Amino acid sequence: MITKSKNNSYIYWFILPYLVFLLTLVVYPILENLIISFQNKNGVFVNYAEVLHDRIFLKVVFNSLLWTFSSVILQFFIGLGIALLLNQPIKGKAIFRTIMLVLPWATPDVVAGVAWKWMYNDMYGVFNDILVKIGLINNYLPWLGFPNLARAGVIIANVWKGFPLSAMFYLAALQTVPQSLYEAANIDGANAWQKFRHVTIPIIRPVIFTTIMLTTIWSINYFPLIYTMTGGGPANATDTFVTFAYKNAFKFLNFNRAAAIANISFVVVLIITIFYILFMFRGMKESEK
Amino acid sequence: MKKNTLRKFLLYMANIIISLIIAFPFIWLIITSLKTYDQIYSFPILYWPKEVTFEHYAHIMKLSFPRYFFNSAFIGFGTALFTILIAIMPAYASARYNFKGKKQIMLSILFSQMFPQIVFVIPFFIILKQLNLQNSYLGIMISYLPFTTPIAVWMMRSFFLQLPDELEEAAMIDGCNRFESFYKIYVPLAVPGIASVGIYAFLFSWSELMFSMSYLSAKSMQTVPVFLSLFIGQYQTRWGPLFAGSIVAAIPPMIVFALLQRYFIQGLTSGAVKN
Repeated sequence: MITKSKNNSYIYWFILPYLVFLLTLVVYPILENLIISFQNKNGVFVNYAEVLHDRIFLKVVFNSLLWTFSSVILQFFIGLGIALLLNQPIKGKAIFRTIMLVLPWATPDVVAGVAWKWMYNDMYGVFNDILVKIGLINNYLPWLGFPNLARAGVIIANVWKGFPLSAMFYLAALQTVPQSLYEAANIDGANAWQKFRHVTIPIIRPVIFTTIMLTTIWSINYFPLIYTMTGGGPANATDTFVTFAYKNAFKFLNFNRAAAIANISFVVVLIITIFYILFMFRGMKESEK
Repeated sequence: MKKNTLRKFLLYMANIIISLIIAFPFIWLIITSLKTYDQIYSFPILYWPKEVTFEHYAHIMKLSFPRYFFNSAFIGFGTALFTILIAIMPAYASARYNFKGKKQIMLSILFSQMFPQIVFVIPFFIILKQLNLQNSYLGIMISYLPFTTPIAVWMMRSFFLQLPDELEEAAMIDGCNRFESFYKIYVPLAVPGIASVGIYAFLFSWSELMFSMSYLSAKSMQTVPVFLSLFIGQYQTRWGPLFAGSIVAAIPPMIVFALLQRYFIQGLTSGAVKN
């Protein structure tokens, strides 16, 4: 029985199960992977040195950054735009919300990969057919066959798959904005943009920060879409850290090198995240004032 | 009045057009799954099937698709349950109280989110082997928890943050202790947050590919994504079973979300104590 004394040990009972989980299922595997990445009979850092000297790895770094930042930026704008649209009071908005947000988000990754892979098919793909019909291209293109087209192709598919989660976060945040603030802004004669800029944005700002950070991390670590659509091809053009590491582990059966690649990608994510966190804490302090 | 009508009209047009564009890849998948092979490989493209066939659906039934389906569902529910049980208390504690090590816990959440699954794929392979949990439901559920639990804490925390502190004070005046006010007052109010976390964990598990194809080597234990991945060859893809399997694979997540969707909409603090 917890008494109402100043003793606050009850808090630690709340977090104890989580700490056990953290140590056994998060910290321990990470350390194990670190050890594996250093195991090499020619020296401790040999696995890392080999990866960093690999020309393909340079390509992988480029691909990963392009894939991540394009996806995050597009998902932010589309996600916020759709959230604003869905926040408008109209009849039947539940149906629109279901179609726009549930369909892509609830579609399993592999299924999304199948759908887009088929749409991009160079002979029977509907993507080519539509683009030719509206006059954007003259001939059918092998979308997943050329490096740059394949890069664009997987990014488009990822934005389709990923924007609903951003939109859901923004929509939930928009619904926490008190109506009274908009009413007050109306009395002050504010127009739609001013209300958005000075009422909506300040209130949903924490959610925007969190969402952008999470979509960045998720994109960089996102595996099944690329794996099913291109397998990292053509010629490693769509290989990111994860698909490349997976190939090293399960195609070339080099667990040690795969572990090293995974850890390098983690360092990249870590650097990006530290920037976000610094940004976020600064924002939090400002809003507390 | 007139301006309002025009606005309504434009709003509807925007909603309809954008919905169609977003839904198209999925609609196209459904249409294609109902075509015969002749029509799938027709040139020019056939936008509407001349005759509907269920041959691809019949085909996957023969390939024991129901078994894969059951495996996925079971693993999905188990993962959601474990995730909620582990995540809800730290989510609550970190939203409501200040304590030593809180910042470290919040950072640990971000930290574990940053690790790609690939970091865990080899260690878990070894751990599951040591525990003799390869090719088991429990083993694959455990391997999913590092990816569902920390984010669950983060998400539920933000739901708890929106609930006022006064509720606890009121509950304690009524004779509840800290734990009672947590599960009697705050947990029921946080049901929307718990539901979203459960959905998230279920959907993660439902569509997870990397671990399931690496750990579940026994056919009787494999999940739907593994089933689908078997038809995507390096040189040749067998589209028929892939389309039918994809559509069936997409149904449970759609249902789960449709049923629990209202929790997302519901004003989270409406009805709670007003200041």
